[in-house]
Amino acid sequence: MAAPLLEIHNLAKRFAGRTRNDQPLWVIKDLSFSVADGEFLTIIGPSGAGKTTLLNMIAQIDVANGGEVKFQSELSPLNDPKALNPGLSCRIGYVTQEDNLLPWRTTLQNVLFPLEVQDRLDAAARERVNMLIRAVGLGGFEHHYPHELSGGMRKRASLIRTLAYDPPVILMDEPFGALDAQTRTQLQDDLLRLWNLGRKTIVFVTHDIGEAIALGDRTLVLSRAPAKIIGEHPITIPRPRDIRAIMMHPEFSGLYQRIRAQVQ
Amino acid sequence: MAVLDDRQDVDVSGFARLKARAWAYRDQILTFFILVGIWQVLSMTLGVYWVGSPWGVLTRFVTGMLGGDLLINASYTFVEAIAGFLLGAIPAVFLPFLLRRMPMVTAIIDPVMVGGYGAPKLALAPLFVLWFGIGIESKIALVAITVFFIVYFSALAGVRALDTKLVQMAQVAGASEQNVARHIIFPGAVPYIFTGLRIAMPYSIGGAVIAELISANRGLGYLVQLGAMNFDTTGIFTALAATCCIVFIGNWSVNAAERRLLRWRPPADIKLQAGT
Repeated sequence: MAAPLLEIHNLAKRFAGRTRNDQPLWVIKDLSFSVADGEFLTIIGPSGAGKTTLLNMIAQIDVANGGEVKFQSELSPLNDPKALNPGLSCRIGYVTQEDNLLPWRTTLQNVLFPLEVQDRLDAAARERVNMLIRAVGLGGFEHHYPHELSGGMRKRASLIRTLAYDPPVILMDEPFGALDAQTRTQLQDDLLRLWNLGRKTIVFVTHDIGEAIALGDRTLVLSRAPAKIIGEHPITIPRPRDIRAIMMHPEFSGLYQRIRAQVQ
Repeated sequence: MAVLDDRQDVDVSGFARLKARAWAYRDQILTFFILVGIWQVLSMTLGVYWVGSPWGVLTRFVTGMLGGDLLINASYTFVEAIAGFLLGAIPAVFLPFLLRRMPMVTAIIDPVMVGGYGAPKLALAPLFVLWFGIGIESKIALVAITVFFIVYFSALAGVRALDTKLVQMAQVAGASEQNVARHIIFPGAVPYIFTGLRIAMPYSIGGAVIAELISANRGLGYLVQLGAMNFDTTGIFTALAATCCIVFIGNWSVNAAERRLLRWRPPADIKLQAGT
């Protein structure tokens, strides 16, 4: 079997205490897992379990206090803040919790931003971006500024901004967390549809058990801080999946119960 | 301009807004006439010798503009103010960006900057006359130094108000240091820079007039001085009216540039910022 695409081994992260006498707070300790090429991995954990911190370390925008992260068998320099390479030269995309759209750019300009700074802005790229904009229902809003869009539309724009430049791995940090149930289902549907077009590797963090089951090939359960893996659940519900009917699937409720029992 | 047209179509409250603006104009005009009325009363009770009458000022203003005398002096002051404004504002906008990677240097020059910001510029005028003579150079220098410190601190605040989340997003997406400066830091600082420019604009015209008061043989400040020496209050008022007109033009230009550059802001913000 080929080496996994992404390997996390004994990863640890601590935050300094508020005062000098405070013990340092370990948010992550002895965390190990790996991600296979083309896998849709969902990670579920209680809030404050260091999920965002974990993704930040994988994306190399934060340093670690122990352990290692290997991408394509290549070790990340996680102990030296100066050596960090955010996004690993555009090989890891990151859809953050907030949409982080640039307020001075229109929807189209925001989606084109990564391609523009990567010098990959040609006719084919523009065509692809137009296709993505239409695919998520943002057609007609290309020239609107972020403050003129709804929360769900901003989320979509932020999602396809990362999809547009096609990084082999995409990290997603509760991207649909702050949305209403209706919009969230729609976006999950969009995401699965887009993922089916070109199966890339996705690490998707959430605190919603239903979402973790509906989207993933495999779900990892994190403990409370200091976070480590306390459960692993392969999800064998066949694809393509219908998000709206997934709760009716015979495997769903069993999985839900088992994961529910582990998430404290 | 398809974007703008588009938005106007969507905007259903356009008519209501126009109506509100008309009301605001009506109130402004009303206030103006009340002030002119008070001025007229003062002029009548105290005598034209002490307070030039509005009508006298208006006739002097019109004949001065048509005759060219007032126009020449006003344009002289205008040129000083604009040249000094640009000379002071442009380096003040770019300096914080150059210093962004050098926190040590920023900290070292900070007391100098605070001192320069706080120093009364009026006291510098005689010094600049000594250095640069009584020509246009000393006035431009005084305006430039006044504008520089105001704009420097607002641009610095803009660079410091940077949203690190946006920078991280850009870096993950493959943006270089240069890309970050150009696409994230600069656009983010533009609202702050405009706050500084809007404050600095009247100061630049005031600075030019004050420098002319100290010593000059041309310009609106010179006309004020001349009026005072000849006990000609109408002449002084006329020069001041011309100064106000230049301030209006300057403010209008800054606001127009701001509206254009900050189209991306929510309208409520623009209204608060643009004020006038």
